[in-house]
Amino acid sequence: MAAHAVATQERQGLSNGMLGFILFLASEVMFFGGLFAAYFIARADAREWPPVYLLTPEQVAAGVKLEVEFWLPFIATLILVTSSVTIQFAVFSIQRGNRSGLIRWTFVSIILGLVFLVMQVYDYSQLHFGVGDTIYGTTFYTMTGFHGLHVLGGVIFMGIVLARSLAGQFTAANHEAVEACSFYWHFVDVVWIALFTTLYIIP
Amino acid sequence: MPSTGKVRVIRRVHLLISAALLALASISPAFAGWGMPEPITDQAKRIQDLWVFTLIIALAVFFAVEGALVYAIIRYRKRGDGLPKQTHGSTALEVVWTAIPVLIVITLFSYSFIVLRDVEKEAPADALSIEVNGFQFSWEFTYDLARLGRGEAPAKDGTFSIIGTAAQEPTFVIPVGEPVEFRLKSNDVIHSFYVPNFHYKLDVVPGRDNRFVITANQTGEFTGQCAELCGINHALMRFHLRVVERAEFDRWVAEQVASKATVRQP
Amino acid sequence: MTSIAIPRPAYAERPRVLDWLMTVDHKKLGILYLYTTLFFFAVGGILALLVRAQLAVADNTFVNNDAYNQIFTMHASAMLFLFIIPVWAGFGNYIVPLQIGAADMAFPRINALSFWLIPPAGLLMFSGFLFGGAADVGWTAYSPLARSSGVGLDLWIISVIILGVSSTIGAANFMVTMFRMRAPGMTMFRMPIFCWTMLVTAVLQLLATPVLASALAMLYIDRNFGGSFFDPNGGGNAILWQNIFWFYSHPAVYIMILPGMGIISEVLPVFARKPLFGYKAFVFATMGIGGLGFSVWAHHMFTTGAVLKPWFGFMTFMIGVPTGVKMFNWLGTLWRGSITFEAPMLFALGFLSMFLIGGINGTFSAAVPVDFAIHDTYFVVAHIHYVLFGGAVFAVFAGLYYWFPKIWGRRLDERLARIHFALQFIGFNLAFFPMHLLGLDGMPRRIATYSESSGWETLNLISTIGAFLIGVAMIPFIINVVMAFLRPKDQPNDPWEANTLEWWTTSPPPVHNFDSLPEVHSERPLWDLRHGKAAH
Ligand code: HEM
Ligand SMILES: [Cu+2]
Ligand SMILES: [Cu+2]
Repeated sequence: MAAHAVATQERQGLSNGMLGFILFLASEVMFFGGLFAAYFIARADAREWPPVYLLTPEQVAAGVKLEVEFWLPFIATLILVTSSVTIQFAVFSIQRGNRSGLIRWTFVSIILGLVFLVMQVYDYSQLHFGVGDTIYGTTFYTMTGFHGLHVLGGVIFMGIVLARSLAGQFTAANHEAVEACSFYWHFVDVVWIALFTTLYIIP
Repeated sequence: MPSTGKVRVIRRVHLLISAALLALASISPAFAGWGMPEPITDQAKRIQDLWVFTLIIALAVFFAVEGALVYAIIRYRKRGDGLPKQTHGSTALEVVWTAIPVLIVITLFSYSFIVLRDVEKEAPADALSIEVNGFQFSWEFTYDLARLGRGEAPAKDGTFSIIGTAAQEPTFVIPVGEPVEFRLKSNDVIHSFYVPNFHYKLDVVPGRDNRFVITANQTGEFTGQCAELCGINHALMRFHLRVVERAEFDRWVAEQVASKATVRQP
Repeated sequence: MTSIAIPRPAYAERPRVLDWLMTVDHKKLGILYLYTTLFFFAVGGILALLVRAQLAVADNTFVNNDAYNQIFTMHASAMLFLFIIPVWAGFGNYIVPLQIGAADMAFPRINALSFWLIPPAGLLMFSGFLFGGAADVGWTAYSPLARSSGVGLDLWIISVIILGVSSTIGAANFMVTMFRMRAPGMTMFRMPIFCWTMLVTAVLQLLATPVLASALAMLYIDRNFGGSFFDPNGGGNAILWQNIFWFYSHPAVYIMILPGMGIISEVLPVFARKPLFGYKAFVFATMGIGGLGFSVWAHHMFTTGAVLKPWFGFMTFMIGVPTGVKMFNWLGTLWRGSITFEAPMLFALGFLSMFLIGGINGTFSAAVPVDFAIHDTYFVVAHIHYVLFGGAVFAVFAGLYYWFPKIWGRRLDERLARIHFALQFIGFNLAFFPMHLLGLDGMPRRIATYSESSGWETLNLISTIGAFLIGVAMIPFIINVVMAFLRPKDQPNDPWEANTLEWWTTSPPPVHNFDSLPEVHSERPLWDLRHGKAAH
């Protein structure tokens, strides 16, 4: 009867670690929920959006313009979505015991994530408004900024997965960290799609 | 038996508290209003009625439950080694004691909803309307000569203001027996305009146009103060209010206008 | 009597201090949590006494206005974020794995992380006193005021975010532990009520705390990067902070009280020698409170004029219903019982009588027009303390007296406990009952001073005397604990004839918790063993 305490832990479906990780993601959803709430309240308050009427003469004189690019972030979006697919390929690979596939696809995903970050930084540098330029600038940089930090976190997470794959630590039976990483990355992707839709598409 | 001693202590504590409560309540000068200060507006009267109604229900619930608790403590203390009957619950009881609170709640809600609707009625267009400006750390009361309500304005337009400081608490004046509107403004942080005898407060929020109406029903001098933490001298944001007859109010307005000091032409 | 043997894992020997610093054992972490949070209880208590000293007489100049704002802000922040919220994690850590028959929490190392985030966060929050002033805008940090307060508030923001991370990951840990680590036979509906309340609390923490983190992040951005979230001049909204803050903080009120209700529900059945009346109703009421908790946040904002008053008033009234159900179930547990009055029971009964008041005086705020009168006055301060002190703190002491023999293997002295209880009970009511009357009479909360002409002096003086009496009440408690530690560990497994699995193992339990487990057929496995299932 030795295994009881252990047996209860490994019951069905998700492992404890995965369950805990999903709960963690739920809390992340609530965090972004708070930011989105702030954004939509600001929009509901505003007479027009972008709230150009709020700009002071000094801001106008300094060349502040409350508008965003479309095409560059659109391409960045495609890249992030693609990386979601590639990290999933990494998971499929290791599920079949294909370690080199895991390494390859993780590596590709990391590169795509980095490209996304570089594009975002470049996009920031092209904009004619800052965090302090009305609620428009504040919400824009806060939301994309926190998302960017999560992308960075995800890239680091994938880096760890890559290092561990190179060390041969994952097998078809044991690759929980890879799955957790892919969950996280999909989450980051979904948040971005929501962000892209609200910040860039809805006028 | 040691446990009876403990029971006695608990009982004594309860007695002590009830006595203290009664003593406190009776020394309070506001006992007439069931703890609330005198209501000096029609709206305050409604709110006080609601308070008394709610309080009576609350006291009934309090004495019933606390009484049952004390009874259980005394009656069911251990008296031997026999095991009590192991009752696990009763669905019927659960339903009953869910339903009763629901009924109480619906009653209280309905009454408070009616009072809420009445005290939040909008001001008639010709009512006296005062702009109240909260700032760190006092108040400014601005009267618009075009919106002085029923009396005769000394001039067609223009405004005059009473401005206080934390050290020099401002006093403003309103007439009795007619609706008075307060429009609340702030340019720094949130304050709250609170006159205890109104039984009412409303926050003074930057970027919001908050307003409310009262009809004073007695003359006298009253005080109020800021009720929302607004910085270091929040405690000193007091003000005074004089409720006077209409004629006296008109005289006061004329004096203010004549003294010019605080009058600003638009 | 059947039981299930459990293998003993091997544990390496380490020096004692290092052992405490590096431990991932839920029991040691639980003890560390308890020590840390009780320390902050003492700190918060001293700050409270400073507040009461200042308010003892009219026009007092004992502390100046600036210091006063820091003191009451840090009083509440310490009591809420550093004492009452994490103290439940402390009890939960020690007790939950034992009550469900597990060897540890699901994630022992994350558990250690949750704990070790707390002391530095606490120091950070208090370090404001060294850098030109601690946070001084109330624990609610209302904006726009909080946009311009000093650097102490930045430290406070970072500290609260760290504490939020601690309780969020802790919450996930508790949830997985209770979902996955239960012993054979321990179904969800056989879990002790304390576990249930910890579970619902964890759900609330997991979903609400990140929202607070987002609000704090926005505040930080407003303060340090020129953001406009809460600045109407930049298109922000002065009320936004309150909406997001209370979306967290109303559920947080239940985070602060539900585990206390759980402890009471463990203690009453043991000392009334009956099962908890309406176990399932109690579980559903707990869930109901948790769910409703997310729909009432704006009852803190009726006087802003910016919220849908009838809706939030109605939902707030509705919360009274499941709370009432709990009260009646507790009474039902006592009814026809065989009650004895050991220390845990005294504090549990104290909880019932005081929390009742805290529940009733809260409903006044649901009657919106009445709230117009009492909002932001001392009436609310009375309400807060009848819930958080009369409720939560009495439950903390009930839990301490109840589980002390289990955790430390020693028993606390009953006579000293009775003195402690009597002083605390009287002091508490003297300190806080008069606040109802002060609030009704128009004394706003958070004021550093009041003028003599207000007529508030007598009641304030009574309140201050009561507060110091509470301070005095801690003396017999401390003596009691010190004397207990001077005695040998002599407690049997189950000194109270209790019902739940933590009493099956030794006091204190071995590192691996259980050498064996009994079969579990109900929520009272030990009762079943003592009396056979027939008595059930
Ligand atoms: C010795 C015991 C205590 C005393 C004498 C005491 C006294 C006070 C007083 C006088 C205030 C009002 C300060 C003001 O509005 O200016 C206050 C506020 C508060 N207290 Fe306590 N308190 C005690 C224990 C506790 C405990 C145990 C908790 C929570 C677990 C707590 C939580 C709070 C909270 C949340 C506030 C609101 C602060 C604010 O307005 O920002 N207190 N306390
Ligand atoms: Cu103020
Ligand atoms: Cu609330």
